[in-house]
Amino acid sequence: MKLYKSLVYRELRLTRNRFILMLILFLLLAALMLTPIMLGGLSGTSEMNEDLLSIVIFACGVVTLTGGIMAGTNNGLQKADINSGWKRYSYILPTTAKQQALSDLLVKLSFILLFGLLSAAFALVCITVSGINFAVEGFDPVCMMLNIYLGSVCAVMLVDIAYSYILMFANDKNQLKIIGVIAFVGAGVVLRVFDLFPGMNNDDKSAKDGAMISQEMVNKFETILCSEKTLLCISAVFVVLCILFFLAMWRSHERREP
Amino acid sequence: MPATEGINMTAYENAIEIKGVTKRYDGFTLDNISFDVPKGCIMGFIGQNGAGKTTTIRSLLHITNIDSGEIRLLGLDHIKDETAVKNRIAVVFDELPFHDVFNAKDMARIFEGMYPEWDNTVYQQYLERFQLPIKKKIGQFSKGMKMKLQIACALSHNAELLVMDEATTGLDPVVRDEILHIFMEYLQNGERSILMSSHITSDLEKIADMVTFIDKGRILLTGYKDEIIEQHGILKCDKEKIQDIDAEDIVSIRLNNFGAEVMVNDRENVSYKYRDCVIDPASLDDIMLYYVHRDVKEWS
Repeated sequence: MKLYKSLVYRELRLTRNRFILMLILFLLLAALMLTPIMLGGLSGTSEMNEDLLSIVIFACGVVTLTGGIMAGTNNGLQKADINSGWKRYSYILPTTAKQQALSDLLVKLSFILLFGLLSAAFALVCITVSGINFAVEGFDPVCMMLNIYLGSVCAVMLVDIAYSYILMFANDKNQLKIIGVIAFVGAGVVLRVFDLFPGMNNDDKSAKDGAMISQEMVNKFETILCSEKTLLCISAVFVVLCILFFLAMWRSHERREP
Repeated sequence: MPATEGINMTAYENAIEIKGVTKRYDGFTLDNISFDVPKGCIMGFIGQNGAGKTTTIRSLLHITNIDSGEIRLLGLDHIKDETAVKNRIAVVFDELPFHDVFNAKDMARIFEGMYPEWDNTVYQQYLERFQLPIKKKIGQFSKGMKMKLQIACALSHNAELLVMDEATTGLDPVVRDEILHIFMEYLQNGERSILMSSHITSDLEKIADMVTFIDKGRILLTGYKDEIIEQHGILKCDKEKIQDIDAEDIVSIRLNNFGAEVMVNDRENVSYKYRDCVIDPASLDDIMLYYVHRDVKEWS
């Protein structure tokens, strides 16, 4: 326990400034999103109610998405450890690769929990201020927010895991750049081949013909976003990604210099 | 169960045993090297830049994997018993590997969880002795302060083996002397050992009991420092006289305007053989210099 306390302390101490910056940005965004809701909620007119619902959903979505990205993103510690020489020094410490990887995962999970709670707090404030009763509107904001949050965390974690592997196999800065470019182009090709770029599924339709994403698609997206099945799937993906993250970190700490 | 449980903690003769270690890089090979560092001994590990000192140290600390050979630290295998070994060793690198944002207090908080035998009182005593500020960021430390902090961290968990890679390089003579004095104190109970790599041979002449000399990835000499210095000498003679000296006695020959200086590897025997020549004692620096030129034999 004392060992994990030390390891986690080191990581938190090193990422403190980064965390404070992210927190400020998050709170600024939250304040920006909250302003129109507060103004609309205070006006109390019935015409405003329908628009307010859309605004609240949009604001919660944006803030949750941002929170998820901030929580899941790479904290830059691996690179900082390589640059400072700590990575090499860690090989002479009695801590095992598994213990270090577990500490990395604990820090990642605590950030995910923290930004999740902040996003939830924002949603609670929005709902209270706007005075909207979601039960009456037939809308489940908790499910939607969890899906957006975990979905964004998963997407960013996937990139983080890929980045960790790139860092692991690059022997110098040039190799890091080359592998990075290859990975970036490769990811682009995969997205293109599987038609995963948003709005690009309909190749023969130009922007002049109207919206590239149809209303039907939007409705379908909304249904998926608010579905409990989606939540179940994303949660499973999240667990798998946590395991993959742990394995990537374990391998990274275990791998010796060439 | 702790990794150290069940392992005999003190019964070992050699703090370091390196047998037939080979590590190949593109353009450099650490070639089948072997040497031991007996318990309670300071071993100076000397050689010019790029000779293989750092590669040897990285191999024995398992920072890099070796291609073949066997390494035992404190009587234990350096890979199989890695955690047990690393609880009982300390390492000082030539550059401070700690992040600039930390201070001395942060380092104590980090290490006290990692080392079961970490002693905050000892650490505090070293900080006071070195006059290191507790709350000042490491990034604002001078080179000497950084090295002192690294040494304070290394000596505060009761390590039985201290490994140093060019730790005194770049430090002024006063700081170097202070640090060497600390190392002598550290060894006083006879249970601790030091492997100290350096190309500043004057430091090693002051404190080392033994010396290992590496060049181009091969161990050329290893043994007690006094014996090595005793065995070698610089024979001064005319250039014409060189032909009379047996090739097996010569390490290499330095030519100058006044004649030749020949490094001989059996001073006592050579002094009987060539009674008309003067043989001066050789320093570690001289020995290193002449051995580096052993392949060309004659140099100036």
